[in-house]
Amino acid sequence: MDVESFDTALLRTTIGRALRRGGDFAEVFVEDRESLGLRLEDGRIEQTSGGRESGAAVRLLAGERTYYAYSDAVDEAGLTAAADAVAAAVSSGADGVSIVDLGAVFSAPEKHPVLTPPAEVGAADKAALVRAGDEAARSVSGEIVQAVIGYGDTRQRVLIANSLGDLVYDDRTRTRFTAQVVARRGDVIQTGHEAVGGSAGLELVDEEGARGVARTAADKARTMLDSRPAPVGAMPVVLGNGFGGTLFHEACGHGLEADAVAKGASIYAGKMGAVVAAPIVSAYDEGSITNGWGSQAFDDEGVPTQKTLVIEEGRLAGYLYDRLRAREAGAAPTGNGRRQSYRHIPIPRMTTTYIAPGRSTPEEIIAATRRGFYAKSLAGGQVEPASGNFVFGVAEGYLIEDGKITAPLRGATLVGNGIDILMKIDMIAGDFEVKTGICGKDGQGVPVGTGQATLRIAEMTVGGTG
Amino acid sequence: MFPVLDAVLERARRQGAVDVEVFGERSTSRRIKVFRQEVEQLTAARRRGVGLRVFRDGAVGHAYTSDLSEDALDDLVRRALDNVAVSDTDEYMALPRPRGEPADVRPYDSRLAAATDAERIAVALEVEAAALAADRRVKLVEDTLYADGDGEVFIVSTAGVRRSYRAGQCYAFAYVLAEEGGQVETGYSYGVGRALEDLDPRAVGAEAAGRAARLLGARKCPSMRAPVILDPFVSAAFFGVLSSALTADAVQKGRSLFAGREGERVAGDLLELVDDGTLPDGPDSAPFDGEGVPSARTPLIAGGVLQGFLHDTYTARKAGLASTGNGMRGGYSGLPRVSPSNLVVAGPTTPLDEIVAGVEKGVLVTDAVGIHSGANPVSGEFSVGISGILIEDGEFTTPVREVTLAGDIVGMLTGVRALGDDARWVPAGSIHTPSVVIDGMTVGGT
Repeated sequence: MDVESFDTALLRTTIGRALRRGGDFAEVFVEDRESLGLRLEDGRIEQTSGGRESGAAVRLLAGERTYYAYSDAVDEAGLTAAADAVAAAVSSGADGVSIVDLGAVFSAPEKHPVLTPPAEVGAADKAALVRAGDEAARSVSGEIVQAVIGYGDTRQRVLIANSLGDLVYDDRTRTRFTAQVVARRGDVIQTGHEAVGGSAGLELVDEEGARGVARTAADKARTMLDSRPAPVGAMPVVLGNGFGGTLFHEACGHGLEADAVAKGASIYAGKMGAVVAAPIVSAYDEGSITNGWGSQAFDDEGVPTQKTLVIEEGRLAGYLYDRLRAREAGAAPTGNGRRQSYRHIPIPRMTTTYIAPGRSTPEEIIAATRRGFYAKSLAGGQVEPASGNFVFGVAEGYLIEDGKITAPLRGATLVGNGIDILMKIDMIAGDFEVKTGICGKDGQGVPVGTGQATLRIAEMTVGGTG
Repeated sequence: MFPVLDAVLERARRQGAVDVEVFGERSTSRRIKVFRQEVEQLTAARRRGVGLRVFRDGAVGHAYTSDLSEDALDDLVRRALDNVAVSDTDEYMALPRPRGEPADVRPYDSRLAAATDAERIAVALEVEAAALAADRRVKLVEDTLYADGDGEVFIVSTAGVRRSYRAGQCYAFAYVLAEEGGQVETGYSYGVGRALEDLDPRAVGAEAAGRAARLLGARKCPSMRAPVILDPFVSAAFFGVLSSALTADAVQKGRSLFAGREGERVAGDLLELVDDGTLPDGPDSAPFDGEGVPSARTPLIAGGVLQGFLHDTYTARKAGLASTGNGMRGGYSGLPRVSPSNLVVAGPTTPLDEIVAGVEKGVLVTDAVGIHSGANPVSGEFSVGISGILIEDGEFTTPVREVTLAGDIVGMLTGVRALGDDARWVPAGSIHTPSVVIDGMTVGGT
């Protein structure tokens, strides 16, 4: 199947068919995805897996209701069945909106340039990358007992046509390289993780780059072997740059997604313009960062991605919208309507979300902290959007004593509340960095960037075992 | 789908492949979300696809496609052959040659296929209505979901395998927010079955509401070292994380804290833990696994003693054992990996109220956040945030939240001293467990 040469007459017929018994917006989403993944463990490339999946989805909106049908068969029969399924679900029986011609064609192939398309590089060269990573991780120390090195690339070509007359083509290439390393000393086992990824091709990572990623992961694991159990209690917490941004993503970002807001299930609902953070905090969601892992030219509803100010000097300034929630709120969509694949309904999702850098330096922040906890790297966490309460695992943490980073600490979690910690941010450095991740929501995983500079939260609960 | 699978097998053979396995899947599914007594989302889906594994000299290459056209099948075979050329060899990696007949379990009820969308919507509406009616402090039901899937799985291989089965499952879920005095608490519940008739929508809604409402007024409690009772939902979440360390894959790769401890005491002596893919009412029961190997009942812990690990064909060959039928596939695009089927936590039980009456000071844990991020399955250390109800002098007193529970997995298992009489299926992970009482846990509060 070729997305670019897909029959536009069939798209138009399908949209009309979906709308024939009611509804006020219809859309066809066609996807063709090629992927390759390699996984090395125990020094062996044990899995090499690749394939091609294509499918089409028809979505019908009727007021606040969504009807969705998809099929793995991208042909007239598959699209007709999907259109009939959504039309049958509309209960109104009234005629739907009349559809316009698919006139406005959008595509932006130059937005995230791919210098070395993964399809043009043989699997053997990709295998060489993961082998280089394995070798580099193991050469860090004799205490490195295991390395899991992963390489993955995907090319996802999509076509989005809707009853507004938009016809959008987007061609998305993503490449990612990951390392998870285990170090062991006696009974103590610790792990370290590092990754690079982008909306880019193989130019993102060469063998030297692969070695660097693996060494970083190995260093983390080995450092944590010297760790002692983290203390329990409330103390100042310094969050490291890069991975530290996961905390903002989970504890605050999800509450800014307009579906949580519309349901009153977010602590940020009804707070536009209100103070939700310390005055030194400004924050953005930016789906248009060139070659960013969380970036693409258009979202999965065909809306161009953009940079959205969400917190301005401590005041709530914006929510993240898909089309449905923007319509309900009378706002403009912000390019945050994303879906994992044609098998998933688009919903408001973050792209790359971050607290903007500040004026301090990381050294100043540590020096200004008499006793505290330095969470250099977070392991991920969970949050309840309704209350903003969260828990985070710390992958790499240290004690701060008399303004200096001292002993590594293990088994720590950070426990708190989203608004509470944003209000308590009292220093932000300038060492801004973005890390890559896969964010899960409603059973859908999408690539996201999380970022920040080193910053300090004046007080936060650390849950440890010591 | 046998004709398509046979065609793939034949094409791979023509390209010189000798050891070939083809996996096929086709299914239909429905997912319905309601909100404030209106249908918010209805999804109707059809999916199908084929996955191909080619084995050569101890290496394996995998490819998949959702496109079943002639050209796409050629492309599928080409990709699998490219991939086998890149993979490293391993003397234990070989085409599965399953022995024995598929297990005698039929995970399908034809009433599921007869259900209409109107009936499915009615289930979801009833769940939400029951939650709203259960307690005046229920502010809203943020998520009410009904979902089902009806699918067939097919496997053919050059080892002579030619098997298929049909499986159906449906479930209902509610996630409730309760509010009082500006404080919001949440609760959830599930029901699971093979047909709509197996679900009790009112019970799901009412339980989710009750779990949220009983936490209202929660605050931090003092730090203490005390017994805790994990309710079945929380117990299931812990055993779910723990189960990854009971796979032979984790053991052989040095990622399990249980490696080399077969025959040793690893848990309180009343604890039994079994993986059983053959249970008539098990949500993840099936006649065979993703490699065509018959499902089985595999004891993992008996009398507190570690019995063994879960295996697929590869890990079993490496360990000199037989596969336990735990080579699970997520779908046609995924490779089989060792994971549990249905996990059952069992042992002698005690009525829950008797257990509570015997606790001088402790916590009933009804929610835990961060188990998947706060628990390290390699080292076994964990620290998670919990909500629940304080127990003082044998009675439930005040709800607690924003406290942490910390320890290590083996310490926790060894501390298991009683099991409640409230065992049930928790569909997330397909785990059947009662409330579990554990002595000497560290609760971090004020």
